[in-house]
Amino acid sequence: MTGTPEGKAVLDAIRSRRVVRAVTDEPVAREDLETVLDAGRWAPTAGNRHLQRFVATDDPTTLRVLRMVSPGMLQHPTAAITICTDRPRAAAFGFPPDATGLHVDVGTAAATLLLAAHAIGLGAGPVTSFSRAAVGVVLRLPAGWVPEMIVCLGHPAPVTPAPMRARPRLTWRDLTTWVP
Amino acid sequence: MEIRKGQDPVSPPVLDEDQALELLAYLVTAARTQIDEAAEYGPLRLLTAARRLGAAIAPRASAATAEFVAGPLAAVPELAVPRDGREEYTAGLDELCRALAGHLTSHFAPDTP
Repeated sequence: MTGTPEGKAVLDAIRSRRVVRAVTDEPVAREDLETVLDAGRWAPTAGNRHLQRFVATDDPTTLRVLRMVSPGMLQHPTAAITICTDRPRAAAFGFPPDATGLHVDVGTAAATLLLAAHAIGLGAGPVTSFSRAAVGVVLRLPAGWVPEMIVCLGHPAPVTPAPMRARPRLTWRDLTTWVP
Repeated sequence: MEIRKGQDPVSPPVLDEDQALELLAYLVTAARTQIDEAAEYGPLRLLTAARRLGAAIAPRASAATAEFVAGPLAAVPELAVPRDGREEYTAGLDELCRALAGHLTSHFAPDTP
């Protein structure tokens, strides 16, 4: 394999990252949270438009209420970053209200946040099952900011729930089709 | 809000308002999210609600109810969905329903022959 040691470390991080759904009560240090947020700023965005905004919290009460309105949040995170799309800003670029392409940038931001958390030893898990309307109220989002994904953070607990289903591990070959 | 243990009007409540509100919020928001989610998440969300309710009431519930919560209810895998092994999944839920019915019968009608 070609590449530098630094490059190998990146690949190792990609391969070893897992969704963490069980975390301890230990708070996430603000400095660590900021490290993850800084990585998110470097996520690729279409046209370098940066239409996503991050709403971070490590407040226990806010996190508790956030979990109450997020059925997909099985974990009890000690910090969370909500990726929002700034719809008015998107509209200013000419995106229609139902533009699906904006979700791609949510995905790249999420992947970057998850990897960054993993890189500094935090556990992270994405949640998309939540009431957009309720989360907007809980996080006091500005008008037009749509919450798209919550990245839950914390220190990984030693015991984690069983995966959603046992299945043979996929390889890249299973996911790839070559064309001439 | 007080949901009391058994039919004894002076028995202590097993759920306080904060816990009830938490479950209420879960159920209401799950109703909304389920519109956009895969149908297979339906039973998962309901079982999560049952787990949370069970965890909330178990410390102040009867020993038998606490046993049901810690036993048959907890035995259902937290993240299981019917996607793979639908028959096994269904059979597991049927077994849970039977265990629940058995507990309900002994709880509410202990003298039933």
